[in-house]
Amino acid sequence: MTSVFYAQEKQVSGTVVDADLNIPLPGVEIQVEGTDQGTTTNFDGEFMLDGLSSGDVLLFTYIGFKTLKVTIDDRDVYDLKLESDVEQLEETIVIGYGKQSRRNVTGSVSKVGSEDIKKLEPLNAAQSLQGTVSGVNVTPTGGSPGAEANIRIRGISTNGNNRPLIILDGIQYEGGLNSINPQDIEEVTVLKDAQAAIYGTLGANGVVLVTTKGGKRNQEAKFDYSTYYGLQQTTRTLPLLNATEYGLLINEKYANAGQVSPLGNITGLGRGTDWQDEVFETAPVVSHNLSVSGGSEKTSYRISASHLGQEGIVGGDKSGFKRQTAQLALDTDLKDNLNLKTNLNYFHTENRGLNDFGLGSVLFNAINMAPTIGTNVDNLTGFIDLGNEVVNPLTQIRNTFNEGTTNRISGNVHGTWEYYDNLDLQARIGFNSANTRFREFLPVFNYGPNKVFNRLEDNLVNQNQQSDYDYTIDVFNTYENKFADIHEVTIMIGMNAFRQYGEFVGGSRTGVPNNSWEFANIGTATGTGDENTSTSFAYDLRRLSYFARVQYTLKDRYLFSGMLRRDSSNIFASDNRVGWFPSATAGWIASDEDFFPEIEAIDFFKIRGSFGVLGNDRVPQFAYRSSLASGAASYVDASGGIITGQSPALLPNPEIKWEENTMFDIGFDLRLWNNKVNLVMDYYRRDTRDLLIPGLPVTGITGIAAPGSGAPVINAGSVRNQGIEIELSYSDNWTDDLSINTSFNVSTINNEVTAINGADFIEGGQFGVGQPLPSRMQVGQPIGYFYGYQTNGIFQNQAEVDAHPSQQALGANAQPGDLRFVDTNADGVIDESDRVNIGNPIPDVTLGYNLSLNYKQWDFSTYMFANIGNDIVRNFERDQPNVNMLAYNKARWTGPGSTNTVPRLTSGATANNVFSDFFVEDGSFLRLQTLSVGYSFKPELLEKIKVSNLRLYAKVDNIYTFTGYSGYDPTASTGQPIGQGIDFGFYPLPRTAILGLTAQF
Amino acid sequence: MKKYILITVLTLCCISCADDFVETDPPYTVDTENFFLSEEDYRNGLVAIYDLLNANYASVMLAEVASDDINTGGESPTDVIGWQQVDRMIHTPINQQVKDVWDFNFAGVYRASFMIENQDKTDFPGKEQFLAEARFLRAFYNFNLVRFFGEIPIKPEGRFELGDELSIPRFSVEDVYAHIEDDLLYAVENMATTSVEPWRVNQYAAKALLGKVYLYMEEYDKAASELTDVINTGAFHLYGTQGDEEFANLFEFEGENSGESVFEIQYTGVQGAGFDCLQCSTGNVMVGFSGVRGYSGPTFEPGFGFILPTEDIYNAYSSNDLRRDLSILDIEAWASDTGASFNIGNQDEQTGHTGYYNRKYLPRENDNLPDANLTQPNNYRAIRYADVLLMAAEANVLGTGGDEPARNYLNQVRNRAGLSSVQSSGTELLETIYNERRLELVGEGHRFFDLVRTNRAANRIDGFVAPKNNVFPIPQEEMQFAQDNWEQNQGY
Repeated sequence: MTSVFYAQEKQVSGTVVDADLNIPLPGVEIQVEGTDQGTTTNFDGEFMLDGLSSGDVLLFTYIGFKTLKVTIDDRDVYDLKLESDVEQLEETIVIGYGKQSRRNVTGSVSKVGSEDIKKLEPLNAAQSLQGTVSGVNVTPTGGSPGAEANIRIRGISTNGNNRPLIILDGIQYEGGLNSINPQDIEEVTVLKDAQAAIYGTLGANGVVLVTTKGGKRNQEAKFDYSTYYGLQQTTRTLPLLNATEYGLLINEKYANAGQVSPLGNITGLGRGTDWQDEVFETAPVVSHNLSVSGGSEKTSYRISASHLGQEGIVGGDKSGFKRQTAQLALDTDLKDNLNLKTNLNYFHTENRGLNDFGLGSVLFNAINMAPTIGTNVDNLTGFIDLGNEVVNPLTQIRNTFNEGTTNRISGNVHGTWEYYDNLDLQARIGFNSANTRFREFLPVFNYGPNKVFNRLEDNLVNQNQQSDYDYTIDVFNTYENKFADIHEVTIMIGMNAFRQYGEFVGGSRTGVPNNSWEFANIGTATGTGDENTSTSFAYDLRRLSYFARVQYTLKDRYLFSGMLRRDSSNIFASDNRVGWFPSATAGWIASDEDFFPEIEAIDFFKIRGSFGVLGNDRVPQFAYRSSLASGAASYVDASGGIITGQSPALLPNPEIKWEENTMFDIGFDLRLWNNKVNLVMDYYRRDTRDLLIPGLPVTGITGIAAPGSGAPVINAGSVRNQGIEIELSYSDNWTDDLSINTSFNVSTINNEVTAINGADFIEGGQFGVGQPLPSRMQVGQPIGYFYGYQTNGIFQNQAEVDAHPSQQALGANAQPGDLRFVDTNADGVIDESDRVNIGNPIPDVTLGYNLSLNYKQWDFSTYMFANIGNDIVRNFERDQPNVNMLAYNKARWTGPGSTNTVPRLTSGATANNVFSDFFVEDGSFLRLQTLSVGYSFKPELLEKIKVSNLRLYAKVDNIYTFTGYSGYDPTASTGQPIGQGIDFGFYPLPRTAILGLTAQF
Repeated sequence: MKKYILITVLTLCCISCADDFVETDPPYTVDTENFFLSEEDYRNGLVAIYDLLNANYASVMLAEVASDDINTGGESPTDVIGWQQVDRMIHTPINQQVKDVWDFNFAGVYRASFMIENQDKTDFPGKEQFLAEARFLRAFYNFNLVRFFGEIPIKPEGRFELGDELSIPRFSVEDVYAHIEDDLLYAVENMATTSVEPWRVNQYAAKALLGKVYLYMEEYDKAASELTDVINTGAFHLYGTQGDEEFANLFEFEGENSGESVFEIQYTGVQGAGFDCLQCSTGNVMVGFSGVRGYSGPTFEPGFGFILPTEDIYNAYSSNDLRRDLSILDIEAWASDTGASFNIGNQDEQTGHTGYYNRKYLPRENDNLPDANLTQPNNYRAIRYADVLLMAAEANVLGTGGDEPARNYLNQVRNRAGLSSVQSSGTELLETIYNERRLELVGEGHRFFDLVRTNRAANRIDGFVAPKNNVFPIPQEEMQFAQDNWEQNQGY
């Protein structure tokens, strides 16, 4: 430019705005064509350039917009508009050790963006995956505050831990999604197929990549504040008998057996106590979230803090959850070719919990407690015998004292050094440091004779602390280049070292002063004796991995990638420590071919496929070693003191090795009508081999029933999951004022066990008390299917009983009014060999539907999801003669022809309570999860109060569930592969009504 | 360019430092290979074998509900369905309570074998005593197993390993008894006559158990010889016959580890327990389960109402027999005397409420830890002197010892109970001895096996079919683990 010597040289200035939104664009790159002269626009979209002459051409480039060419004429001021570029706006997808444009992704990947998360406003980030992403099933472990959720990607493949790998900003995260503030999440990406092979032994159950928000460069500080307040209540109470009905039915029950009823005279019982009414309450939830973000030319930052407080709909603050988080994200260019990103997160959670699961839980007691007993009766001495678990649930709540606190600091530092053309080296160090404290107090209390909760002699305080640490070191080198304009190559090679270690120390002591929570601390307790115990353990898990990936794109439409990872970990013995995990993907963007038919409607069509092997190592460490258990063996000296010894621990399995998943996926992406309609379809198949099965029952002659011993972990089976996933979405601006965004997804799962080594089946789950295990894993059946007796109506009279094979082997001879079991093997007798498959806990189809509409300042959105074809076992009725009953018993059999579905009541010997299809129900449901309406104030109005964006909204969560299931909640599950779908009276997910506000300034 | 690639590769290699990173040992753990290196290790290993004696409640209770004199009881006719089915003699290979007996006793065998296979690892004076006790305990567990299941797999030289169920056969009952005899002969030979510590067994316990085993083997003279040895030592006497002892206290805490105790299993209430691992309890699970349901009153603590003596056994005592009211609690009478209240659970005719409770093993008032139903401290008298006397009497009648010593032993037991001596002989004497065993030992887990070994079970137990019910079925799970290696017991 200095060579220009004549006088036409001039200065040019102007502004650049977004053509659609008419707002200034900061940071637009401006270059004088053919030179390296240039500048960028400032915060207000303004620019100025010296030394130009007429005829020079300026190139305006900005990510997401079409490049604009402007030829300098005699004007000095240019006000320009950049048009957005749909092609370029193509979202990028985080794929693990790299990013890829959505267009070129060849694996099966789903993404949930911050927009979705904002609309869903989940308490737990895991909920944002439910119903929004195909092939992902999220089941809460219950509705109590702070409960974690189980995430299952493409079915259930292992009998061990089915949890997908969670990667938080590139680093393995073991803290659970519940500890992350959902408002800090930029996006969640789910890798569902062999593309996850870059995570090798960790990827078999899929990978959830969570990216947190950062600041934006060239942006002034922007504050975001959001808050909401909500009220939660139960969605359902179970229909139970009132006191009068209870009295009548109990008396009938005893009369039917020719026995004396313990209830006696039942006149004047009235309605009695409605225990569910007594324990359920309306509980508040409140959230605050504040962040500030921004950036200069070379640096961006975001700082945020949040608070969530939630009480339980059972027990109020006795089951509360509090979460506080703080986050700092910093991204800066240290040099032109050296970038440093760092992320620091602090999480603090506080939990108080009631007994909320199974026999003895508060809700279990509310269902089973006799309605004839008053709410103020704490000690059931002299009242009707309700067995040894059922106690007054209000007393139980009052006597529950515990608190758990977790403090976690995690973070990472990520450096990127572009040390040569097309080459960069990235290094990342991440860490987690968590400290968990728990304190619990069991007061002296007598609930009545035999009650399992009784502490008659002395109170007890339990206290423990666990420290967990981990660090991750990633180093990877990426080479990216394009040759001859048609060959695009990306090569990445790297290594990863991971170590997780920690220790636990805990103790118990009796003799807490004043029998009071206030003084419940090991230090102040004064007890002596054998209940004063202490214990500790430590662990140290290490993994070392090398990996490489090659991506090759030919002519921008033939896409290939290959990955290889080598893992070694100290979970396994030396001989089985190393595993290799290869995978390959390919794609073809057919719509870019010349020969592709010129169909106006079709914008984009891609076919893709992937195949690969992944591993799973989530089993207890050192299962190959034969170690000794300390303290498990104890006997008693002649004066009643304890003597401890040492004994073999868990039976070892020296042969233990990785579980191997072979994944196959083929699918296509189709976009129609100017990208308004988007269709993604996949067929997938996962074959899991060498299934790691912890606690696989083995012969008792190996001593596994001894205290401190147990069954070994064995590679003992194969499972196949296959199905189809479809995601269909539509978005459009119908008018300037009205836009729509809607999506629908559907997934099918077909789960089948294909092999079990060394056993015909594996049992699990629990039904009733002392009954055979109800769930099985068996070849040819879905994992965890229900195994029990088939029924065929009710015996109406003695002639029918006599005509039927004897049912005596089930515990009692049948009488009219009893369930008729099917002689499935036709051997003329009903016994345990007549048990068959009576249900499948895995849904055949899961569906999700989302709709959002924007009309002028109003926004409306709704989410719903459904499961079809799964069965649930009703297991919250205690098989005890005197407990309260569900209202369906009013329609019990009372004589010939009265009913053919509900058996007679009897306190005598009966086989009606054995595990049969009478207790299995269809668990299909459709849940209207979210309905929200918001109003955003017009910017003109807000300008005066210096607010750039203000939205008020109202939202209801978990509005209604359409289901035929008779329990509290068809979505809750333990998450155990064998034993899922058994309802122990799960704490229902609350319905929550929220008023909220978000503001930006 | 090349320089940079070199730098990159070097960086990767340096940081990686190879697979050494994952070569670690678990923190703070001891392997089985580094054990039995000192006397202390042997003692710790021995405690672990005794540990499974605490789980012996499962064997005692199953034998009781199987007998003619006890109803199962419980909350309802389906409470602990495995026992209810055994009570009705309709049990099948799927039975958790039968499986418990299999698992717990084999766990005892396993722990004993762990020490026995390491017998040569370390030498120190007095090691034989440890090994002798280990072999006594292995014999005790195997004796339970052979009586419940008949033919069982045995492995005299070491522990069972995974896969042995596919290759080791069920040995004949004779072979199993020979193995038990072998262990007990070693125990008798190498054990001191006085216990090293009060809770440990001594030579007399080994001899008494050996005598009992001979009785089951129908080796009557050998049985008489061992049992007479025990009697002649003078180390034992019938409780209540010396000093200020009172017979009424035999099954009270005061009567524990008394002069009548030949082999006693120690229990305590100072350690808590839960339902998830009943065999882990150091309390006597049988006692809490036997307590009166919803009981509120003096002397006793409440329980789950299992193990209910029948009216038949109550009436089998003559009214002047002291043992009736010391062995059996008539709850109606007791409640009207003391004002105690209680609940009735299972009212089924065959398995339910009788109005009687097994007083020997009812929970007494004490300050045991939660769950109080599982941690009752009552010791179980596995072999007491009265049993030794009655076994000796039987062995003498059936062997060559003659009626004279038999009557002597029998009458000692009768006299203590406040009954007169008998003068009968021959078959009549034998019948009296059998009857005396029933009355003396009710509720202690012996009755079912006595009936079976004397071929009287089918006459006495409703639904009992011989030979099928002489033994219990091998648990279904075990049959599946063993695939075709084992055959199910006849009739199951």
